[in-house]
Amino acid sequence: MVIDGLSLKLFQNQFTAITGPNGSGKTTIGKIMTGILKPQKGHVLISGRDSAGMKLGEIGQKVGYLFQNPGLQIFAPTVREEISFVLELKGHSKEEIDQMVSRSLDEFDLSHRSDAFPFKLSRGEMQRLAIAAVLVNKPDFLILDEPTTGLDMERRKALSYIISDLKEKGMGMAVISHDRAFISSLADRTIKMHRGEIVDDRT
Amino acid sequence: MTGLKDFDPRTKLVLVLCLSTLGVFIQDAIILVLVFCVSVLLSIASGSQLFVLIKKFRRILWLFVAIAVIQSIFVPSGRILLNIGQIKLITAGGLYKGIAMVLRMSIVMVSASIMATSNSREIVQGLVQWKTPYEIAFMVSVAIRFLPMLTDEIKNVVTAVQLRGIELDKIPVRQRLKVYSYLIMPVVSGAVIRSRELATAMETRAFRAYPRRTSYMVLTMQRGDYSVIFMSLTISILTLIFYFKVV
Repeated sequence: MVIDGLSLKLFQNQFTAITGPNGSGKTTIGKIMTGILKPQKGHVLISGRDSAGMKLGEIGQKVGYLFQNPGLQIFAPTVREEISFVLELKGHSKEEIDQMVSRSLDEFDLSHRSDAFPFKLSRGEMQRLAIAAVLVNKPDFLILDEPTTGLDMERRKALSYIISDLKEKGMGMAVISHDRAFISSLADRTIKMHRGEIVDDRT
Repeated sequence: MTGLKDFDPRTKLVLVLCLSTLGVFIQDAIILVLVFCVSVLLSIASGSQLFVLIKKFRRILWLFVAIAVIQSIFVPSGRILLNIGQIKLITAGGLYKGIAMVLRMSIVMVSASIMATSNSREIVQGLVQWKTPYEIAFMVSVAIRFLPMLTDEIKNVVTAVQLRGIELDKIPVRQRLKVYSYLIMPVVSGAVIRSRELATAMETRAFRAYPRRTSYMVLTMQRGDYSVIFMSLTISILTLIFYFKVV
């Protein structure tokens, strides 16, 4: 049993940081919150609806999730298509898509790599692409699992600006991270986990 | 020795080859049913997770039914069982051949499950002691080792696509096909990247540095192994001789 008897509420207007040592259940809880893993017992409510009755696609429209290993969530043949593909499926016009993709590429400093094969990107670039692809979908809530892994100081700072901006725009966020320096400047609430239990919850 | 599970992997390989050969050469559905029953019994006797495997692959079982029906449509013969106008949809002869085809595939799959009771290291060692070049035997073991990872990767991509807010069952077929084409990309590139890394890791550990390799694990054939091999070969050869003489 990774997590047992845990009760947790995350709020849209808060930046929640989830910390804890390796194996404390941080990633598991993130995956349960997005429906990737199903709880054996208990419920997960997303905007008041039980996630057990929601399809992953439905959850994905409300909650964006960044995997610990961004390589797992990248699948398109080019960087540009990785971002544009959801917009195409959602029926946006070509002009709108071009505009949104270019803005996103600029924001994440990926314009020079727009036609590159995503699997040839560096770890940091891949991380940025995965975040850009999640954000272009405009989810209401964002869960980021170790978003600063593989990012240098500059990129970390850039990510922190992007997150502050999203926070100002009213996007709720939960960040699972070891990176104390990164979360301490942004977090409204910090949850500390140990062996599947919440040992500290501070606002 | 307690059961078929503890036999030498080479013995199991001979057994699987005999059953598969019978499955491929015999056309008669009734004899195929017998071979199928023997395969199931041997698979259970070997302690394979046959029923777990069937449960796992239950989603593709409809494919078997589809194969039987398609076979029946394209090789019509005998009494017509179902027709639409002039088109003979299902005929007795066609259905018989369709069922034989499904049985043949089932025999190959069920008998292969016997091999799964030996671990991949033992199978490689068996092949090496049969004078198969180590590189080829090692490739076989790597392929076996990496298969579950490929399945996991496909699952990950399906999850990732859905988490972008795409409900796969609600999008038009053309776009759905495009989404499915996305599955191939990370799986293939992942396999290439991983194999390169594996090759580098192996070279850093001096793979093929010396022409002769010794093994910590050495398989030895017991009397039981020779008996099973002898019996499998004899029964298979006699069955084939008898079958082709009668036919």
